[in-house]
Amino acid sequence: MPVAVQLLIAIGFVAIMMIASHLLGPKRRTSDKLINFESGIPSIGNARQPMAVKYFLVAILFVLFDVEVIFFYPYAVNFRALGTEGFYAVLMFVAFFFCGFFYIIKKGALKWED
Amino acid sequence: MKPLIASAVFGVIMMFAALSVKEKKTFTLLATLLLVLLTGVNIYELMHIMNGEIPEALFNGMLKYGSFSIWFNTLMTGIALLYVLLCGKHIEKVGQHTGEYYGLIFFILCGANLLSGYNNLLILFLGIEIISIPQYILAGSDKRNLKSSEASLKYFLMGAFSTGILLMGIALLYGAMHTFDVSQFNFMEHNVDAMSLGGIFFIMVALGFKVSAAPMHFWTPDVYDGAPTPFTAIMATIVKAAIFVAFLRLFSETFGGISQHWTLVLSIVTALTLFVGNITAVFQQSVKRMLAYSSIAQAGFMLFAVLAVNATGFKGIIIYAVAYSVATIGMFAVLMKLKDYTYDGFNGLGRKHPLLAFTATIFLLSLAGIPLTGGFFAKYFVLTAVMEQGTGMMWLVIFALLMAAISAYYYFKVLMAMYFKKGEPELAIEVTTGDRFFLGLAAAAIIVIGVAPDILLAWLKN
Repeated sequence: MPVAVQLLIAIGFVAIMMIASHLLGPKRRTSDKLINFESGIPSIGNARQPMAVKYFLVAILFVLFDVEVIFFYPYAVNFRALGTEGFYAVLMFVAFFFCGFFYIIKKGALKWED
Repeated sequence: MKPLIASAVFGVIMMFAALSVKEKKTFTLLATLLLVLLTGVNIYELMHIMNGEIPEALFNGMLKYGSFSIWFNTLMTGIALLYVLLCGKHIEKVGQHTGEYYGLIFFILCGANLLSGYNNLLILFLGIEIISIPQYILAGSDKRNLKSSEASLKYFLMGAFSTGILLMGIALLYGAMHTFDVSQFNFMEHNVDAMSLGGIFFIMVALGFKVSAAPMHFWTPDVYDGAPTPFTAIMATIVKAAIFVAFLRLFSETFGGISQHWTLVLSIVTALTLFVGNITAVFQQSVKRMLAYSSIAQAGFMLFAVLAVNATGFKGIIIYAVAYSVATIGMFAVLMKLKDYTYDGFNGLGRKHPLLAFTATIFLLSLAGIPLTGGFFAKYFVLTAVMEQGTGMMWLVIFALLMAAISAYYYFKVLMAMYFKKGEPELAIEVTTGDRFFLGLAAAAIIVIGVAPDILLAWLKN
């Protein structure tokens, strides 16, 4: 029940603030306001251009290896408690990942010039 | 555990083979070899269980294999072998990365293995993800084809969404039960409250999505139609059967004690699935799309095994999975031989290629559930499983029989085209002796199951 009241107050507050600023604020409509703001520099063209898939590949591979590193944090914290068995488990995990790394290198996913 | 490791390692081997091997035929050969090996490892594991060895829980009780799960895995690897033998040539033609496709198929088998042996909701989640992600890639493997890309994207987005729902369900159940371990779930001790029921409902929706049960089926026709045909064949068979086993194990073993709370919802889902799948399949022009809808309809029948909550349900799902998978893979294999995927493409096939037409006839009869084919006993087992639970489900069984009669219409439309219409069917690929042999083998397997379904059950303990 208190949660519901708080929710109502939160929604009500947002709504009142938005309506109030809409009603009270001064309005000056110019065409400049509809242009994308790019640090004051006039924008050129459309942002939706075809991009080389290489950027996407690098980004997605970054995520992969980033996640790998994240897995090391909990392992590092529990390093002693997990003992040799944990060490082998992590070793296997890294080995599998290394397979993947070897694979992408061989496939030429990181080659920038064609 | 050995088959699980083997399937993952074989997948990696296929991946690395893709780096050095140039000839596409070599991949099919290597994949066949590795699948034979994998089936062998499964049979080896099965022998241990049959000799009275009690399987131990692995990884702190996260995985637990019984005779059911190992036998199911053996069957699935066997069917995957048949699939590669029948469709290998077509897989080679899809794109440039044949080795990777086979690698992904091994990863699918790895996921199927996890789904049959999970004892922990985390492993269930992991299995579903491992089985789904290769599918997203395989669906889009025909990169230049717009429909294939659409199928991949659609499947990925909707699949990711349903995975979120599954996670939500698992989280709610964890909140109610304080554990992920399904063998420690105790609905008597903790009251059946909104949290656990919500969790069960979410999991039902997510798994229903993965097996394409109505009303979560909307992705199915587009994805199955858009994906390259050889990969549609594996998505509609092995993957679906594996997820059904997870579905069945979760709802029969874990949630079976409180079945009164969820059977009504699931029976409505079943009725809807049967209705939507069968009725929509009637109006299709393309046989590939018809098979997509037929796979929805067949999922409706497999849901009966889940509804039954008894041992016959487990037997039913084994027979259904095998009869349905073999028939569907065979039918897709015949379809892939043709250039034109519409019904008209089948015109006159009976005269020009009698063996293709004859095996297709057996596959279609099995899918329709005609006696003396495997499909008959498959339907028989799942329906009797529900009947054993009393007469409360009588309406659903009668409805299912009615729908089976409707399904005969669209399966027989293909038969009519093959035998009673004149035409010159064009083949996309030459039919070799090997194709004939393996198609015949698949058809023979269906007849054998249709005559003696017990051979599939002899390997199940209790």
